[in-house]
Amino acid sequence: MNDVAPSPEAAVVAERLTKRYGSLTAIEDLSFSVAPGEIVGFLGPNGAGKSTTMRILSGTMPGTSGRATIWGKSVALDPAEAKRHMAYMPENNPLPEDLKVEEYLTLRAKLKDVESKHVAERVAKVMEDCDLTRRATGRLIGQLSKGFRQRVGIADALLAEPKVVILDEPTIGLDPHQILGIRDLIRSLRGKMAVLISSHILHEVEQVCDKVVIINRGRLVAMGRTADLRRELVPETSFTLVAQIGLPELAALLHPLDPAATMELQSSEGAWQRFRIVLPAASPLRETLARTLLSANISLREIAEEKIGLEDIFLAATRRTPQDLRRP
Amino acid sequence: MRHFRTLLMHELRTALLSGNTWAVGALFLALMGCIYWFALLECSRSPQNWTPIEATFKLFWFPLLCVLPLLTMRTFAEERRSGTLAALLTTPASTAAVVWAKFLAVWIIWVLFWIGFVAFPLIVDAQLGRAADARLHDPAMLWGGLCFIIVSGLLHVSIGILCSCLARSTALAALLAFISLLALTAAGGVMETLPIETWEWLGWLREPATHLRTFAHLQDFATGILDSRPIVLYLTGTLLCLGLSVLAVEGQE
Repeated sequence: MNDVAPSPEAAVVAERLTKRYGSLTAIEDLSFSVAPGEIVGFLGPNGAGKSTTMRILSGTMPGTSGRATIWGKSVALDPAEAKRHMAYMPENNPLPEDLKVEEYLTLRAKLKDVESKHVAERVAKVMEDCDLTRRATGRLIGQLSKGFRQRVGIADALLAEPKVVILDEPTIGLDPHQILGIRDLIRSLRGKMAVLISSHILHEVEQVCDKVVIINRGRLVAMGRTADLRRELVPETSFTLVAQIGLPELAALLHPLDPAATMELQSSEGAWQRFRIVLPAASPLRETLARTLLSANISLREIAEEKIGLEDIFLAATRRTPQDLRRP
Repeated sequence: MRHFRTLLMHELRTALLSGNTWAVGALFLALMGCIYWFALLECSRSPQNWTPIEATFKLFWFPLLCVLPLLTMRTFAEERRSGTLAALLTTPASTAAVVWAKFLAVWIIWVLFWIGFVAFPLIVDAQLGRAADARLHDPAMLWGGLCFIIVSGLLHVSIGILCSCLARSTALAALLAFISLLALTAAGGVMETLPIETWEWLGWLREPATHLRTFAHLQDFATGILDSRPIVLYLTGTLLCLGLSVLAVEGQE
């Protein structure tokens, strides 16, 4: 219930965050921001430091150095104010087994400073939004399935209508139906709350998020909109071609137009050959490949541009080294 | 401390609905009932220079060591193990509010257990009617002893809470609390038996040793002597333990 709080430029700011456990550095010099109302995917391989970063941002763990702010409030210097603007759902979503869903949400609403007269109303609203009303009312949390427990965690996160929601692997262990439900729920938050969500399901992040932040070994390796990262990290374009032509003839046809084009024969089926052609970023063949082949009277059965997904971006980004990042 | 009341009500409600609390309560009353019963039997067999209530209160260390750790062990160790403590600390509620709420809830339960014990002498008194010896329900000893339990319980419970904050498992928390409470209860008596006066290098211990005599405190309370020194000792000890508990929780989370 923070309607009167002025909107800062960034809802979440991590500035040169570093966390060390003795000689082990979990995250180092990590900087990124999340704008108000934006949904940002936070990605990285296992052990990259995602949960550590989220715990520092949520105020449950102090960083070794750096600065973290939530809605303009320093997490370290003004934790109560920062927490008032933020909700955090940890990775394993720990919940008390011996409380009923409504009892738990009522307690959490009170602790999150929801006005007493609005507590029952807010609990009912989030239970409805998270599809808990029909199937979880009156039930002990310990009796709920994994999917419904995740919903209770998300309902808790939305209770006080925070400006920032941090969700650590919210769909882990859920079946496809449940994942779709949670995804729709998160999507419905766009424009209302800033959401920082970590997930291993890259397709899900691509579907839901406006922007992604990718970290590897505790360092930022990529940040931005998926389309921008695609251009930056996977600049070449790949085509699949099935045609009646040999590899030397195909090379002879394409290399005069773009010597940097590479091609490989993937399989043969009678006279039909399947090739993978990779063209560099500024290759003129990107627009004229099909026309070039047809004008050479080559029989074509298939020509298709390979889609570059978040998975390719993630793999390219996590192969980067800190030296790559320092290059202009 | 804005969320203290909400947390305290939650802790009390959880404790009262927990089977563990009722089981520990039953153990406490069974233990105290046995002690009181045997004290009564001894008094009925031959004249004694103590009353059954006095004898029972003098064995307060027995439930203190066996029962109190069972109440405090789960407060933080269990919540940390299950991760619910970290989730609780993501709310605007302060660590101090969480520690104080858990402490006060356990202390209230502990005092309620002892109030339950008061029923035993009252029942005996009611059963015997006019035949009862006035010394059987010596009110000074009864209420004085209860006051001692209430005041010293602050420190004892806070020690249990601190142990629960420091331990990763409930069993370890109970063991730590047992050892700490044993050390505190026995410290005064042990120091009294040592010839400190003859040891020059331990001369500085003489004064503190006189303040740690737990059984002397019980005697003072029971005889109506209101000495501020043990009260200050218990209150400052409580504040120290709770302060350390807050630091322990903040340091570990």
